[in-house]
Amino acid sequence: MYLAILLILIPLFFSLITFISGKKWAPYIALLSGVTTLFYFLMLMGAYNVKEKYLAFNTCIDWLPVIRGYFHIGLDAAAILPLVLTQLVICLSLLATMVKGNQRSSSFYGLIGLTQAGLNGFFCAQNPVTFFIFFELALLPVYFLVLNNGGPKRKQAVFKFFLYTAFGGLLMLAAILFLQSNMHEELKLQSWSEFYKNKLNIKYQYWLLAAFLIAFAIKSPIFPFHTWQADLYTQSDKPTLMIIAGVLSKMGVFGLVRFDFFFLEALYEWFYYLILICLIGVIYGALIAWRQKDMVRIMAYSSLSHMGLIAAGILTLTNKGVQGGLFSMLAHGLAAAGLFFVSDVIIRRTNDSSIDSSEGIAKVSPRFATYFFIILLSTVGLPLTCGFIGEFYMIWAVAEFRLPLGILAALTLIFGAVYMLRMYQRTMFGVPSPNVMQFEKLNLSEEYVFIIIVVLIVVLGFFPGDWIGLGQYAYQYMNYIPTSK
Amino acid sequence: MMLAFVILTLFSVLILFLGFAKQRNLIIPVSLLAVILAIGSIYTKQTFWNHYLADMIDTEGYASVISLLILCTGLGLIPFLHLFQKRGNEELGDFLGIFLFALMGGMLMVCSQNYMILFLGIEILSLSMYVLAGADRRKVKSNEASLKYFITGSFTSAVFLFGIALIYATRGSLSYLQVSGHGDVITDLAFIFIFVSFALKIAIVPFHFWAPDVYEGTPTLFTAAMSTVVKVAAFGALFRIIQFNQAILPVWLDWFFAILILATLLLGNIMAMSQRSVKRLLAYSGIVQAGFILFGFIHLTGDTAWVVIYYLLAYTLSSLVCFIIVHFVEEQSGSDDIDSFTGLASSNPTLAILMTLALISLAGGPLTAGFIAKLFVLNQAVVYGFASLVVVAVISTLMSVYYYYKIINAMFSQSADQKWNTPLIYKGILLIFILITISAGVVPGWFTLYFK
Repeated sequence: MYLAILLILIPLFFSLITFISGKKWAPYIALLSGVTTLFYFLMLMGAYNVKEKYLAFNTCIDWLPVIRGYFHIGLDAAAILPLVLTQLVICLSLLATMVKGNQRSSSFYGLIGLTQAGLNGFFCAQNPVTFFIFFELALLPVYFLVLNNGGPKRKQAVFKFFLYTAFGGLLMLAAILFLQSNMHEELKLQSWSEFYKNKLNIKYQYWLLAAFLIAFAIKSPIFPFHTWQADLYTQSDKPTLMIIAGVLSKMGVFGLVRFDFFFLEALYEWFYYLILICLIGVIYGALIAWRQKDMVRIMAYSSLSHMGLIAAGILTLTNKGVQGGLFSMLAHGLAAAGLFFVSDVIIRRTNDSSIDSSEGIAKVSPRFATYFFIILLSTVGLPLTCGFIGEFYMIWAVAEFRLPLGILAALTLIFGAVYMLRMYQRTMFGVPSPNVMQFEKLNLSEEYVFIIIVVLIVVLGFFPGDWIGLGQYAYQYMNYIPTSK
Repeated sequence: MMLAFVILTLFSVLILFLGFAKQRNLIIPVSLLAVILAIGSIYTKQTFWNHYLADMIDTEGYASVISLLILCTGLGLIPFLHLFQKRGNEELGDFLGIFLFALMGGMLMVCSQNYMILFLGIEILSLSMYVLAGADRRKVKSNEASLKYFITGSFTSAVFLFGIALIYATRGSLSYLQVSGHGDVITDLAFIFIFVSFALKIAIVPFHFWAPDVYEGTPTLFTAAMSTVVKVAAFGALFRIIQFNQAILPVWLDWFFAILILATLLLGNIMAMSQRSVKRLLAYSGIVQAGFILFGFIHLTGDTAWVVIYYLLAYTLSSLVCFIIVHFVEEQSGSDDIDSFTGLASSNPTLAILMTLALISLAGGPLTAGFIAKLFVLNQAVVYGFASLVVVAVISTLMSVYYYYKIINAMFSQSADQKWNTPLIYKGILLIFILITISAGVVPGWFTLYFK
C-alpha cells in the first residue's frame, strides 16, 4: 500500500511507544522508527513516477468545510528532495546520540519522532491549510527538545526563537485566511495547483506576499530576520541542532518554493529588491562568520549565508533557480548536519568550541580530520561534491537575471572558502594543544554518521542528474502558464 | 428541559439537608447524580412541565446546547470539590448545594426568552457565586474577593435592570419574542446598558477591573467555576438576546464590539505579561479569551453561532484544566506564584504535561481545540470585513504566547528535589478534558456538526 500519510503516522506511532518505553529501549525504538520511515519513503519514491502522475499517493479529507480547509497529504516532485533530507538527518541525529555517555531520556527520542512526523507532514502538505498546521506542529517538539537539553542559556535562546517563529506563523495564518476567503468561490482549494492556476487580485497580492515572505524569512532564517539564530545554535543540544540546521531551516525556503508562484504579478515588481536583500544577507553572514572565534557561531553564520543564496535562487522564479534551490536544500542540509556533528564531536572531547583553544586535531585523529574536510568541501561548494551543482545553478540563474547580482552571488563561493578554511586550519593543523592530546578515537556510531554523510556527499556530487531534474517538474507544475499566451 | 431545572433545584435542597444530616460521604455522589440526571433529561429531550412558562423559557436549539455545556462543566468540576473538604472546610454540603444552584441559574440565563427570567437567572448565578467566592472564610483575601464581587455584581444588576426598564418603556413587553418595528434612540440606550452589564459580568475591558482581584482571592476550584460557568452562561445569554432582537439592534453594534475587542486584546495582554501570580495571569488570559469570543459576535446570526459555542467549549476545557492544576500546585507549595511551578515537569510529570497541553490550547497551538476556535473566529472577522482587527489578534496572540510559554518554560526548567503525586482519578478526569481538547482540534467536524 502506498500512502504518503503513513510518512506521518509511522513516526507518530513509534514516538508514542518511545514516550512510554523505558530509558534503555527508547533509543533503539526511535532508531527503528527512523529507519522504517526511511525505507518506507524509499519505497514510495521507487513507486513514484513523476511523468505519469505529478501528485501521487495522496489522502484528502474535508477537514474544515467552513474555510474550505481540506487536509491533503501527498507526494510530489518538489517534496522529494526535502523528504530524503528529513529521513536521513533524523536517522543521523539518532545515531549521533547512540554514542556511549551521550544518551538521552526517552522523552528526547519521542520528541524526535514527533518532529519527524511534523516535518514529513509539512513537506507533503498539498494545500495552504495543511501546510500551516504542520508548519506549527513541527515547531512544538523542537521547542521542548531544546528546552530539555542544551547549554545553560538555552531557555532564553529557545524562547526568542519560539516567539520569532510564532510571530511568523501567526502572520502566515492571517494571510492564509485572507487567501482562502478571497479565492474564487467555486474553487475547492484542495491542492496547490488551484492556487497556481487562479491568481489572486493584484491589490491583495502585495500584502499577502509580504506576510508570507516575513514568515519564511524568520523561519529559515534569512537576513534581516536572523537574530535568533546564532544564540539558538550555540545553546541547543547538538543532535537536535543537526535537525534544526539540517531540516528546520529548510522549511522557510521550501515555503518560498510553494507560495511564490501564487503571487507572480507582485513578485515581478519586487524581486529585484528581494534578491538584493538575500544577497546582502549572503555577504553579511559570510563576513560575520569570518570574524567569529566560536566554531558553532561560524557554522551558524555560514548557514545564514547559504540560506540567503538558496532564497535568492528560488526568488529568480526561473527553472534553474528553483532546481538549484531544491537541490541545495538537500546538499546544505546534509553538510550542515555533518558540520554540527563535527562540532558536537569536538566539544564533547575538548569541552570547548573556540577555534583558538584546540589545535592540531588532525595529528591525533586523522580520520576525523578527513571526514571534516570532505564535509567542509561540500559546504564550500567544490565541484564533484553535492554542494557544488546546486549553488552553480542558483548563481547561474541569478547571473542571468542581473549580471551584477550574479557576481555578488558568486562571491559566496570565495567567502565560504575563506571562513571555512580558516576554521579548519585553526582547529585541525598545528601542534596539538594539551586538551587535544587525549582526543579519543571516533567510536563506531560516530564513524557511521560520518561515513553516511561523506558517501552521500560524494555520490550526490558525482550523479546529481536525476535528483536535480525533479526540480524541473516541480517548476513546470508551479509556473502554470495559460495555453492562450 | 423544565425537568432539568426541577431536578437541579430539588437536589440542591436535598444536598443542603445532607450537609445538616452529617451524611458527608453522600454529598458528592448525590450531586453527581443530580447533574447526570439533568444532563440526561436535556439530552433525551424530556418534555415534562414544558408547557409551564412556555413563552418565557426556550427549551430547544442553542439554549439546550449551551445548557449542556454548562452542566458538563459542572459535572467535570464536582469531583474536584471533594478536595475542598480535605482542607478542613466542613461546609461541603452548603457549597455543593449552592454550586448546583449556580448551574441552574446559568441554565436559566441561556434558556430565557424573557428579560425577567434572564434577570432571575443572573441573580441566582451571581448570588451563588458571591457565596462561593468567600468559601474560604478563614482567609482575608477570600472575604475580600467575595465582597468585591458582590459590589460589582450589584452594580451590574442595577445597570441591567435600568436597561430592561427602558426596553419595557418602549416595547411594553419584556419578552424576546414580541419584537417588532425598528430600533430607536431609547432602544439603543437600553442595549448599551444591557451590553455593558454583560461586559461587566464577563469581564471585558474596560469593565474588567474586578476580575483579577476576585479570581485571586477566590478558592481556586471556585475560580475555575467562575471563569467557566459564569462566562459561558453570560455569553450564551448575550448571544440569545442578539439572536432574537436582530430587528431592533443598534446599527453600530459591530463597531461597538470591535472597539471592545481592540481594548480587551491589547490591555488584557499587556497586563497579563507582567503577572507573577498564575491565578491573576489566568484571570487576564480569561479576559483576553473573552475578547476572542467577541470576535464571534461580529455579524452574529443563528448560522454562525456555533463559532461562539465552539470557542466556549475550547476555552472551558483548557481553563478548567489550568485552574485545577493551579489548585494542586497551590496545595503543594502554598502559593500560586509562577516560581512554585518551577520544576513541575520533574516533580509531577503528568500534571506538567496536562497543563502544558492546556496552555498550548489556550495559546492556539495547532491541532488543539484552541487553534481551531481561533481559526473560526478570525475567519468570521475576515469574512465580515474586520481585517484590521485580525492584525490586532495576531499581535495579541503573540503576546499571549509569551506569557503562556513563560509558565511552560518554568515547568520544564530545573529538576525539583522531591516528587509528589496526585490521585489517579483526578489525573484521569483531567486527561479526559485534554483528550476532548485534542480531538476537538483533530476532528472539529464532529463537534461543529453537533453545535449546528
